[in-house]
Amino acid sequence: MTGTGEQAPASVAELQDELRGVGYLADRGLGTAALIALRLGRPLLLEGEVGVGKTELAKCLAALTGRELIRLQCYEGIDTHQALYEWDYARQMLHVRALSEHELADADTIGGLYSEDFLLERPLLQAVRAGGRAVLLIDEVDRADDEFEAFLLELLSDFQITIPEVGTVVAEERPIVILTSNRTRELHDALKRRCLYHWIGYPTVGEEIDIVRVRAPEVSEALAKKVVDAVHRLRDMDLAKPPGVAETLDWVESLGAIGAADLDGETAVDTLGSVIKDRDDLEFVSGDIARVVPNG
Amino acid sequence: MSAAPEIVDRLVGFGTALREAGLPIGTDDVLAFCAAVAELRPSDSEDVYWCGRTTLVNRRDHIPVYDEVFRRFFLHVPVGAERKHTKERHAPQGSTGTVNLPDAEPGDRESEEPPLVLGLQASSLEIERNKRFSACSDEELAAVRRMIARIRVEPPKRRTRRYCADPSGSLVDVRRMARSAMTINDAAPTLLRMDRKRKPRPLVLLLDVSGSMADHSRNLLQFAYSMRRAAQKVEVFCFGTRLTRITPLLDRRSPDAAMRLAADKVMDWDGGTRIGDSIDAFVKDWGRRGLSRGATVIICSDGLDRGSPATLAESIEKLERLSHRIVWMNPLHDANGGVPPTLAMAVVGPHIDEIASGNNLESLEAFAARLPQIG
Repeated sequence: MTGTGEQAPASVAELQDELRGVGYLADRGLGTAALIALRLGRPLLLEGEVGVGKTELAKCLAALTGRELIRLQCYEGIDTHQALYEWDYARQMLHVRALSEHELADADTIGGLYSEDFLLERPLLQAVRAGGRAVLLIDEVDRADDEFEAFLLELLSDFQITIPEVGTVVAEERPIVILTSNRTRELHDALKRRCLYHWIGYPTVGEEIDIVRVRAPEVSEALAKKVVDAVHRLRDMDLAKPPGVAETLDWVESLGAIGAADLDGETAVDTLGSVIKDRDDLEFVSGDIARVVPNG
Repeated sequence: MSAAPEIVDRLVGFGTALREAGLPIGTDDVLAFCAAVAELRPSDSEDVYWCGRTTLVNRRDHIPVYDEVFRRFFLHVPVGAERKHTKERHAPQGSTGTVNLPDAEPGDRESEEPPLVLGLQASSLEIERNKRFSACSDEELAAVRRMIARIRVEPPKRRTRRYCADPSGSLVDVRRMARSAMTINDAAPTLLRMDRKRKPRPLVLLLDVSGSMADHSRNLLQFAYSMRRAAQKVEVFCFGTRLTRITPLLDRRSPDAAMRLAADKVMDWDGGTRIGDSIDAFVKDWGRRGLSRGATVIICSDGLDRGSPATLAESIEKLERLSHRIVWMNPLHDANGGVPPTLAMAVVGPHIDEIASGNNLESLEAFAARLPQIG
């Protein structure tokens, strides 16, 4: 097991370089936030528009540090059974049956029913157990209920979980924790205070061209520029769902899939479904495609 | 951490400056900031900027304030020299108005009125339950509001993913049976049942506060306040020519204080109405983000719209897709079933699930009683 301290890169620039190596372009702000999170061992809360690479950062940090990525996808109604641990009731029952058939049931074997063998680990317990070997991604935390947030608060401050039948599990070393939120609701201040915070905005044209070039190296620079320009015009168009970086990459891939070497009005309309995912927006943009992809 | 004391002083001073500018900065935040700076050993002010933004700011709306304080504190740029991030908010022209809210609770504000004469006079405030709000005097309205505050509101419920034990439930609870079989070691376990848990649906209220609705809106605001107290997930918006979110203002203990705050924040009391644009703004800024998903949306408006019907049609259609049920409360709506044939009502007709009246106490109570069954 390696410690977070000695593993963390020495400077922001170094971390940015390393992230680039695994295909993630972080600007200086995000680089600083990530480095502080690594160095101080504090959770990092990422907010931002849809599709700007919040989840991706956790994946790339895992790849970069060689740690295991443990993902907890939050949703309304998520509870501790799905997030922490659960006893494997069916197996316990079968075990009891087998014991009683052979008349082996005594205090010891019954006590054994609540041993590790019958414990189903869920992401949070997994992460506490893995400690410094894990990157824990708590995705879309805004979707979970308030009570769950309060529970997370407890976990994020101590990194320990108490299972009444087994005892307390404490993380020997803190895992890297990334939380993401799409701001469907405001998170509690108490949770935010436990975390470092970074807002990821849309990248500039230059940065986004770089991202396309890193993620899809087969694409020519001219095409990458054309697509990114078009996406930036779309973002200015007051759409219901402005396209994120993920959509830019989807668009480039779709163009590749139909063998288009250039982006013109016609190919743009054909592949528009990969960038715009709302019917009203689609109609609006198709009717005015020359504004998005000017000819010549 | 072994930073020079003067640097620490400077960093802590920055924290204090931010606090003075209104950001909620705790000592632990300043500690984290210092720790981050010590870790990174910043080479220029940009590093310091990002260290602070990561550790001291925890919501997006605070970023402009942070930027300004940073500029002033570290770069010595005077206040207001560069304000590219901050947005000035102006009230739309010609739509400001003052609002007069008689207090529902006596003694909350210094009153200019002579002290109340106790005794028989108090009964003069008794009002008929079916008297229209528009026909009520100020005193009667205050009494009405006190009564509205007492209406019990229970939002409609939805089924959740979770289960709970229920003897008459429709599903067999295998997990509980296994557990009980283990403890009792029963060869033939009894059949235990469970069913889905039910949770209140979120409620979203959109209140028309334009000129034609002003009288009703004040009462509805009180109704919204009661709802907010009764159920957790309630969001309240006011609209006339533009949309204002007033949910946080309603979290006050005193309804009158809440009402006054709300009245101050809403700029377009007694102005014109643009229902379509307001609903559109709601859909864009809040609905899309999931605020109304699975919610019962209650729109209170008389449908006297000055905006374009096409926008209204488009926005209500979007809203219908983003919410569970839409209820339209129209004070002009007659208990006998007649809705005045305004263009707006004709446009939204196919998209709403229920029309209520809410123009007197009786109908508000009836609506509160009906609410749990909607959806």
